[in-house]
Amino acid sequence: MGTQVKDVVIKADAPNALLLDKHADYIAAYGSKKDDYEYTLSEYLRMSGIYWGLTVMDLMSQLHRMNRAEITEFIKSCQHECGGFSASIGHDPHLLYTLSAVQILSLYDDVSAIDVEKVVGYVKGLQQEDGSFAGDKWGEIDTRFSFCAVATLALLGKLDAVNVEKAVEFVLSCMNFDGGFGCRPGSESHAGQIYCCTGFLSITGRLHQVNADLLGWWLCERQLPSGGLNGRPEKLPDVCYSWWVLASLKIIGRIHWIDKAKLSSFILACQDEETGGFADRPGDMVDPFHTLFGVAGLSLLGDDEVKAVNPVFCMPEQVIQRIGLNPELLS
Amino acid sequence: MHGRVKLKSTAQQEEEKRKEREKKLKVYVATRDACFNKRKDGAMDDEALQLTQQLLSANPDFATLWNYRREILMYLETVKEEDEVQKQYDAELVFLEACLRVNPKSYGCWYHRGWVCGRQPRPNWVRELALCDECLALDDRNFHCWDYRRMVVKASGVPVEQELQFTDRLIGSNFSNYSSWHYRSTLLPLLHPQSPDPPANCPHPPNSSPPNSPHTHSHRVCEEQLLKEYELVQNAFFTDPNDQSAWFYYRWLLGRAEREEMISCVYMSREGERVVVAFSRPVNAQTVGLMLVLDGQLQRVEWRSAPPSVRHTPVWICELPPGTISDINNEHNLTVHWTEKHTQRECALYSSRPESWCRDSATDQELFRSELSVEKTSVLQSELTSCNQLMELEPENKWCLLTIVLLMRALDPLGYERQTLVHFEKLKEVDSMRTSYYSDLCSKFMIENTILKMEYAEVRVFSISEKNLTTLCHLDQLLLVTHMNLSSNQLSRIPPQFSMLQCLEVLEVKDNLIESLEGLSNLPKLEELCLNNNQISKISQLKPLASCSKLTRLDLRDNPITKMDNLQTELTDLLPSVTDLML
Repeated sequence: MGTQVKDVVIKADAPNALLLDKHADYIAAYGSKKDDYEYTLSEYLRMSGIYWGLTVMDLMSQLHRMNRAEITEFIKSCQHECGGFSASIGHDPHLLYTLSAVQILSLYDDVSAIDVEKVVGYVKGLQQEDGSFAGDKWGEIDTRFSFCAVATLALLGKLDAVNVEKAVEFVLSCMNFDGGFGCRPGSESHAGQIYCCTGFLSITGRLHQVNADLLGWWLCERQLPSGGLNGRPEKLPDVCYSWWVLASLKIIGRIHWIDKAKLSSFILACQDEETGGFADRPGDMVDPFHTLFGVAGLSLLGDDEVKAVNPVFCMPEQVIQRIGLNPELLS
Repeated sequence: MHGRVKLKSTAQQEEEKRKEREKKLKVYVATRDACFNKRKDGAMDDEALQLTQQLLSANPDFATLWNYRREILMYLETVKEEDEVQKQYDAELVFLEACLRVNPKSYGCWYHRGWVCGRQPRPNWVRELALCDECLALDDRNFHCWDYRRMVVKASGVPVEQELQFTDRLIGSNFSNYSSWHYRSTLLPLLHPQSPDPPANCPHPPNSSPPNSPHTHSHRVCEEQLLKEYELVQNAFFTDPNDQSAWFYYRWLLGRAEREEMISCVYMSREGERVVVAFSRPVNAQTVGLMLVLDGQLQRVEWRSAPPSVRHTPVWICELPPGTISDINNEHNLTVHWTEKHTQRECALYSSRPESWCRDSATDQELFRSELSVEKTSVLQSELTSCNQLMELEPENKWCLLTIVLLMRALDPLGYERQTLVHFEKLKEVDSMRTSYYSDLCSKFMIENTILKMEYAEVRVFSISEKNLTTLCHLDQLLLVTHMNLSSNQLSRIPPQFSMLQCLEVLEVKDNLIESLEGLSNLPKLEELCLNNNQISKISQLKPLASCSKLTRLDLRDNPITKMDNLQTELTDLLPSVTDLML
């Protein structure tokens, strides 16, 4: 008996250099595929899709290739009466897409294009009595939404619009035996949720409540023999965890606990030399989501061919500084 | 978006695929537009349910359509009889089950199912629990299902004991089950809580409840149950030593609750008329009602943090009004009140004494080891023996090696020091990706041992050389240290937390890799600093020292900076008080 370690094997001929030009071309062309089946099926997350594309282009200094005017109009037409933003026209508003909308406008330094007061009101109205945040009026609770709420407000300079103390209390109630965080109190630790919660605690200045040594250990144990990172024990590696795990480690000051060289090789191996873009693991289909997190991960690892990325907001560091934000990071 | 393999195909296959997708797309777009139009028209009819059903079957993440369905269902509640409503929702649950079979990880599906049960006149929680059993049998790591189960358990009052038995069954059939072990960690403290010890100097229960995290007493397990749990976990990792879930869980069992919030040290110095307060955890002194009473009189003071300009830190400093305690002939009584926690600490400053303090010792607090009863000691001892036996069979197993280290620390940190160092070297060999982690963890343990030795010797000298230290920690425990020797290690920085060392007079840190002295600012008693053979290369790296007004001796030999022109002049400008400079 013996559990086999779930992992991938990187082929000898896998890409090992960063193909920035190909990725820029891939993203630039992505939006024009409006008659593509996959593209249409993912309409329910379009606002986030645009945020992923624009952010990775900005990190690669290629933001100018995207259609700013069209995107700004699109965003405006997605703000609903309640103040929240939907993923696309005709869809319902949600915190996830409200954050993405504000992130995009922050990249363009054009937050005034929308009704800021209404957005703040929308976010504020989603906070529950126990400090948690619902994703929308239908009431699903998740620590992801706690992150969306404070990140949105922080970008707008309005963090004090909500009960921060209570919000912190709720997030801390989601801390687990292993130092990690889940969706709701009692939920299993998961790298995505950990990113949201450490990001949340950074924005609200409560990182000292994290058990950095314990959580850092759990996070560095996400690294598999292939060099890639998984999201929780006994799962396959995935390039998006290069972001969720790595950014979390950076926030809690333990990024040096990862073998950077091996992770870098894994991320590069997830590139598609033919089409450009990154896939979740070597040989799979690419998409903008994994492309952003592959590039952002490389940025956190210190690659100087791309701009520095802020580990809390997943936006270029220079944008965060321009806005005047300085979320705390543990040393 | 995940797990879609890129398959190579011929030009003809590509063309066929393209045509098929074009067809699918047309149907999809038509249905979607029909849905949106109906919604715009306010339609709440069967056709709307049909259309949304079609789309959601193919794309359950299309959240807006679940919203539309909910609007329709809520409307139907107002026009149908209760029995019909019950049936309507039952049909919804059948549809949802079909969706979940195809997409067991869709947030939208699970949430909608919970919403339906919440609206139904007579929800069938037994059936819901059975659905969870089935789903978990297929994938015991599906966290959506586990979260749904927790909701069902809460809504229907399933006893904790029953759920604990459920985890017993799952773990019994498949040890590698992180989700089950995690669930146990939440259930055990409910069924077998550790009784919380009130903090040492707290006459009344604290005003505010402790932070709700698994590391507080309220989330720990009573000893009797803990010892049984050790056995359960041991079975798991002896059966399969590569089952990491069990090792993670075991580490939690070996751990201990976080320290109670209290004042751990108060220090007073006539020179500078300074009071330094150390807490057991980071606090914001500005907001917790920290008060100083000297000789029965409330003092007006301003607290500043160490390191400077942070909101939460364990160490806070203030100065008393000039002349308050400067006369060495006077005796004083100081009480520090932490009003929020109804706790306080007293410190007497006797005449002819230049300073005074009161603190909890790390040994008394058993800060660095387990709380050990006789039973627990014997159990842990036998576990250590078993793990050592396992290690002989599996010499490359890093989980076993690390656990042995943790067991040794729980039992006798000083006694096992030598073996601990040997095991860390082995860990770095067999699990080289995590070399940095092991180096830092080993550093932490060596620092803990040095603190213990320092306390046993009752001195204020902290010395730890040639131990490959890569990081510094527990600096809040070193507030009273006057002499520190960190020579011949692997340190690359003096971190900001170093400014907690308010009594430090001499620091020797030669033969390291230091290139940052951030933490060496505002150390009021620092007189001597030896940085021989490090990586100081720029004047800017020495700037923090300008705020150490008593610094007179500085050794910078064998640093890259010594090659700089005009170094002597620049240093005289930056650090005028340094009279004894070695370059």
